[in-house]
Amino acid sequence: MAGGLGRTQFINLDLFTDAYRVTGRAEVGTGGIHAELGNPNSNFLEIQDAYISRIHKPGLIVASYKVAAFRKENINFIVLQDRREGIPVGTQHGRSIFTRGRPMPAFLTVPSFEIMGEIIHEGKFTPRDILVQSIGRFQLIFSAKASASLFPEISYSGDLILVHKDRIGIFCLGDST
Amino acid sequence: MARIYVIDDDEQLLRMVGLMLERGGHSVTLINNPVKGLEEIRANKPDLLVLDVMMPDMSGHDIARQIRATPGLENLPILVLTARSQQIDKETALASGANDYLSKPVTSQELIERVDNLLSQKSILVPGASKGLIVAFYGLRGGVGRTTLAVNLAGALRRLSQEEICLVDLSPSCGQAAMHLRLQTRSSWAELPTASEVEWPILKNRLLIHPSGLRLLASPLDPKAPSMPSAELTQRVLNLLRDRMAVTIVDLPPVYSPAFEAAMEAADVGLHVIGPDVISVQTAVQLNRKLVKLGITFRQKSYILNQTSAEAQLPPATVERGLNARVAFQISYDTHQARALAQGVPLTLTSAKSPLPILMHRMADVLWHRVAQKSG
Repeated sequence: MAGGLGRTQFINLDLFTDAYRVTGRAEVGTGGIHAELGNPNSNFLEIQDAYISRIHKPGLIVASYKVAAFRKENINFIVLQDRREGIPVGTQHGRSIFTRGRPMPAFLTVPSFEIMGEIIHEGKFTPRDILVQSIGRFQLIFSAKASASLFPEISYSGDLILVHKDRIGIFCLGDST
Repeated sequence: MARIYVIDDDEQLLRMVGLMLERGGHSVTLINNPVKGLEEIRANKPDLLVLDVMMPDMSGHDIARQIRATPGLENLPILVLTARSQQIDKETALASGANDYLSKPVTSQELIERVDNLLSQKSILVPGASKGLIVAFYGLRGGVGRTTLAVNLAGALRRLSQEEICLVDLSPSCGQAAMHLRLQTRSSWAELPTASEVEWPILKNRLLIHPSGLRLLASPLDPKAPSMPSAELTQRVLNLLRDRMAVTIVDLPPVYSPAFEAAMEAADVGLHVIGPDVISVQTAVQLNRKLVKLGITFRQKSYILNQTSAEAQLPPATVERGLNARVAFQISYDTHQARALAQGVPLTLTSAKSPLPILMHRMADVLWHRVAQKSG
């Protein structure tokens, strides 16, 4: 959960590159990790207490470092257990810009993974409109599950998955026919 | 009380987990270095280990594997506590030898429940795993401070023994035991299924946990039907608690019912609470006649004369004459009690030295001596 104005906190996250899973902690402000990823002053995201696993053996920790830096454009997706750690979800007076609109099932792929979940969008429901109109470089997928394409028994669930828009291969909306 | 070791490289989290477990009544050793932790576990053989996975030098999985390979530690219960919260992580933890798995952040209640569950599988909750004692606070006169005494005795016993103590509030509704302890009544006896369906895991989930570690089966906040549990359910609940708690304190409402009768039959010790007034003495005499007629007798029974207002209507000698029995405990009016109620902290869990906590601590001493004799 984000704290008060100007306050920062550490959140736990699972971050995925093409071949690695990294679990660690990131320091975020009230805008959550989405704001950090969209920060134009830095191309890097810093993770503390980073524990690295290979995608095909995600339970096995192959290396650990006090700090790891990631080039934002090489992050495929980030899994969070609480959407409030990713974005401001709104207040008692109304929903935030990220959670306003209608939910719609979505399916998308990134290198090595396929992701299913819900997109919340206000406006025209086409993949193009959603990708263009949604804020930032990362697409928000709520109540999501990411499965490894080559190892479908390996999957990661989260209340929110942030997917790098540039890494998306397939993007489909609605229920599978 | 179990000896629990916690290994985590995050000092802040280590202290927090330690505090939660101490409040749960356990003796806790905190270690922030995995290699040193493994050495200490091999040397001291604790009752349970709470283990972080992601640590420098050695992961929690490696520690769990090495513990399982150590003679004498094959059955040490291991609870893994980690920020890696995916199903695959749970499977990896269990495969490495852990018994259970919790994702960070963890709540106090969740942690204590999992720890107690692992410990109960190992049967070390109650010394010698012997059966516990049931103490009933009863009387058909309302407003004599029965709940206050039950809550305070339970608190005193918990403080003295650090063992599993449970308070059962059998009031029909708006029971005050939860209010005395400032606990939110998120579950009560009203949510229990029928007697034949109640098992320990179900009952355990209905027990509230006070920060002191005292457990409470609360009464429902809203008036509900049936207004009292059935005799069978009361009997079943008390039998389950007797098997797992060192002492169970039952606070009976001033209403004669099948549940009242069942609780009286189950109790080892009966504490009849009366006030220094005529109606209190008369109802006590009537109730005694009824119990004798039904053949309900306790192994130990005592009268407690509790003065809940500044002025007493009858002197103790007159009360004893009316009862034709000796009053074992007399408690004079305690001005601190009103403040304790407002603060939601029983006097026996504070450092207060007023008449009520002094007597309750004395009673707790006597009762605990009896429990120790029973289990020894």
